[in-house]
Amino acid sequence: MSNSSSPLALELSTVTKRFGDRTAVDQLSLEVPAGVIWGFLGPNGSGKTTTLRMILGLLWPDEGWLKVLGQRPEAARDRLGYLPEERGIYQRMRVLELLVYFARLKGLSSAEAKSRAGELLERFGLADRAKARCSSLSKGLGQKLQVLATLIHRPRLVLLDEPFSGLDPVHRDVMREAIQEAKDQGATVLFSTHLMEQAEELCDGLVLLRDGQKVLDGTLAEVRGGGQRDIHLAYEPIADVPVPDLRSLPGVERVRDTGYRAEIGVAEEGVAQEILSALVGRVRVRRFEVREPSLHEIYVRAVGTDSQAISEASSETATDLQVGGDESASPATQERTSP
Amino acid sequence: MSAFTDRRFYQRASLVARRELLENLRTKAFWLSVLSFPVILVLATLVPVGLDQARQERLFSVVDESGWWLETVGAELDEPGRYRRISPEELTATEPTAAELRAEQPSSSDQLSTLNDAVARGELFAYLVIPANPESEGLRYVAAHLTDNALVERARQLTERQLRYRHLAAAGLDEDTIRAAEVSVEVDSRAVDASGTERVASLGEVARQWAPVAFVYLLWIAIFAVAQMLLTNTIEEKSQRILEVLLSSVTPIELLAGKILGIAATGLTLVSSWGLFFFGIIALIGLLVPLPDDLDLQAVVTDPLYLGSFAVYFVLGYLLYAALLVGIGAVCDSLKEAQNLLTPVYIVLMVPLFAMIPIAEDPNGPLARALSFVPPFTPFVMMNRAAGPPAPWEYAVTAALLIATIALTLWAAAKIFRVGILMTGSRPSLRDLIRWLRAPVGPVVETDEESAPAR
Repeated sequence: MSNSSSPLALELSTVTKRFGDRTAVDQLSLEVPAGVIWGFLGPNGSGKTTTLRMILGLLWPDEGWLKVLGQRPEAARDRLGYLPEERGIYQRMRVLELLVYFARLKGLSSAEAKSRAGELLERFGLADRAKARCSSLSKGLGQKLQVLATLIHRPRLVLLDEPFSGLDPVHRDVMREAIQEAKDQGATVLFSTHLMEQAEELCDGLVLLRDGQKVLDGTLAEVRGGGQRDIHLAYEPIADVPVPDLRSLPGVERVRDTGYRAEIGVAEEGVAQEILSALVGRVRVRRFEVREPSLHEIYVRAVGTDSQAISEASSETATDLQVGGDESASPATQERTSP
Repeated sequence: MSAFTDRRFYQRASLVARRELLENLRTKAFWLSVLSFPVILVLATLVPVGLDQARQERLFSVVDESGWWLETVGAELDEPGRYRRISPEELTATEPTAAELRAEQPSSSDQLSTLNDAVARGELFAYLVIPANPESEGLRYVAAHLTDNALVERARQLTERQLRYRHLAAAGLDEDTIRAAEVSVEVDSRAVDASGTERVASLGEVARQWAPVAFVYLLWIAIFAVAQMLLTNTIEEKSQRILEVLLSSVTPIELLAGKILGIAATGLTLVSSWGLFFFGIIALIGLLVPLPDDLDLQAVVTDPLYLGSFAVYFVLGYLLYAALLVGIGAVCDSLKEAQNLLTPVYIVLMVPLFAMIPIAEDPNGPLARALSFVPPFTPFVMMNRAAGPPAPWEYAVTAALLIATIALTLWAAAKIFRVGILMTGSRPSLRDLIRWLRAPVGPVVETDEESAPAR
C-alpha cells in the first residue's frame, strides 16, 4: 500500500502526538491523493498545526508513522512548501533577495533561483519592488511575497496554515489564484482553515478534526454523504390547524427549527416530495428548497457546534492561543495558557 | 548523527551563515561596534591628557603665623600651571575690607572669614593656615572639596622636611651634613631566565608581562559583543515569526549551526578590524613617540603566543557563550525577558575580569591555576596567563575540559532551540527544559521506502 511510486501525496497511519498529559493528535490516519486541493478543517486546538508540523518533520509522532510524497518527512523537505499561520519576513532584506534565499534553501541553484524569483515578481505585479526592502511593503504585499516564497521552488506538496486569515478580499483572491495555480502545476495543496466557504470553493476533498481525532474525511462528494439532502423550509401556520411535528414526518433525520423556518435533513432526495405533500394543507409553505448539505452544515453536524460560533470564538481566542502557543511544541500548554 | 553526513546540511547551514553575515554587515549597529572600539581607545588616551591640560590653574593662599614657613616652604609649593599662591591682599584687593587685611600676620577671624568666602565663591581653591608652631599645632587646610589632595600632601611633606632641617640645624649640624643626610636609593631590577642567566629586566619585558591583560579585556568584550548579537538576532527572528517559515526549509540544527557560524564570521570581521586598528595605533606610537630602546611594543603585541591564544580562545569562548546565549534566546520572547536570565551569566563573567590583575602579577600562581580549570573562565584565564606561560599539560587539560563543556552546551542548546523556537508565550519551566533535554533526537520513522513499519 505504500511505496515510492504511491499516488498518495500524504499518508498518515495511526499518528498520535502528546504534549505532556494532553493528546494533541490522536490515532490519526489519513490519505491524501496527489494533485488535489485538500481542506484541513477543525476548530482551533483540534490538532491541525501539530499535524502540519509533523508532516514537515518538525515534530515526530509518539506513535504511528507518516509518509510525505512517499518518503519520510525529513527526506521530502525540499519538495514541500509551507506557509505557517504566524508568518514574518526578514524586514531588512530586499524583495528579490528574500525570494532567492528561500529558493536556495530548497536546493535551487543561484542562477535558477534568481530567474524564477524575477519571473514570479513579474507575474504577481511586484517587479518594480524587486530592490525594495521588505520593510517598505504594505501588509498585503508582504503576504503576497510570503506566498511567493512558499511556492518559488515549485513544491510537490504545499501546506498552508490558515492562508486566508488576515487577508483583505483582494489578497484572498491572489491567494486563491496561487493555490489553484499550484494545483494546475500538479502539486498537492493541503490547507487548514475554519472558513467553510473558502474550503467549499476550493477543495476537492477534506479532513475534519476535532480534539485531535478525525471526524470525517474524503472527497467533497463523499463527505456530503451521497444522497443526503437538506430541505430548507419556510412556512406560516394556518389558523385553527395545529402545526405538525416536523420530526414525525416520513424520512426525516434531523430538524433545526428556528420558528417558521427549518432545515430538515433527509437521507435521500426522494422523500422530499412526501414531506412536501404531508405539509400541504397543514401549514402555509412559503419556501421549499432541496439542497446538498453545505460544508457548514456538515461541519456543524460533525463537530456538534455551530461553525460560525466556532470561528467567532476562535478569532476571539486567536490571540490568546498564539500567546499561549496552543499547538506549539510546548509540553506545558496547560500551565502556560493560564494568566 | 546522519544529519552531519548529509551534503544538504552543509549547504543549508552555509546559506544561513552567509545571510547572517551579510545582514549584520548591513546594520548600523555593526558599524557602530567597528567604530566604537577605536573611538573608545582614542578617547581613553586623549581625555585624561586633555582634562589635565584643560584644568585651570588653582589659586591658593597661605596665612603664615610661623614667620619662617613662607620663605622656606612657600616658594617650593608653587607648581606653575597647577597651583599658584596669591597673597590674601591680592585676592581681596577689590573687597571693601581689603585695607584691613594684612598678609603674613596673625590670623584674625575677619581675615579667615574673608578667605572662607573666597573659597565658597570659587575664587580660591584652598588656603593653608600655618600656626606659630606647626610641629605641635599642625597645619590647617581649608578647601572647597577634599578630593584633590595633591597640594596639601606636598605642603605636609615639605613642612616635615623643613622641620627636620630645623631640628638638625638646632642640634648644631651644618647645612652640608643635613643635605647629605637626605639620601635616596636606586633599585636595579633584574630577572633570571630559564637557563639561570641574569638579565636586566627591560621595559619590554614588563610590557610583555602586562600585555595579556589588554588581550583578556579585548577577548571579553569581543566574545560578549558577538554572542549578544546571536541572542538579539534569535529573539528578533522569533518575535517576528520568521523562524517558523524558515523551519520548513531548514532543520533547527542547520539553522543553529548556520547562525553560530554566520555570527562568528561577523565577530571575526569585527575583531579583525579592531585588531588592525590596535596594531596601527601601536605602530603609530612607535613612530611618533620616542620609546626607550628596550621597549619594542610592536614585538610585544604581535607575540605569536599571544595572538595564537587570542584566536583560539576567541573561537572557543565564543562557541561556549554562543551556545549558552542561543539557548536562552530560544526560550525568550523579548530581550527584556532574556535580561533576567542573563544576569547570573554576567555575574559569573565578572570573575575573570576581577582576577585579571592578580593573575597577571602571578600567572602560574594557585589562583590562576585553579581558575584555568573552570571551563567558563578558561578562555580568559589562559589568555591572561600567556605571559607565564602555563605548562603544556595545563593547556591540554584545560582545553579538553573546555571543548567537552562546549560540546555539552551545544548539545543542550540544540535541543532547547529545537523546541523553544516554535514556542511563544511565557517561559518554560525548568521541568519543561529538562524534559526537552531528555526527548529523543531523530525521527521516529527510520524506514526505507518499502516498509513503513507501524510502531
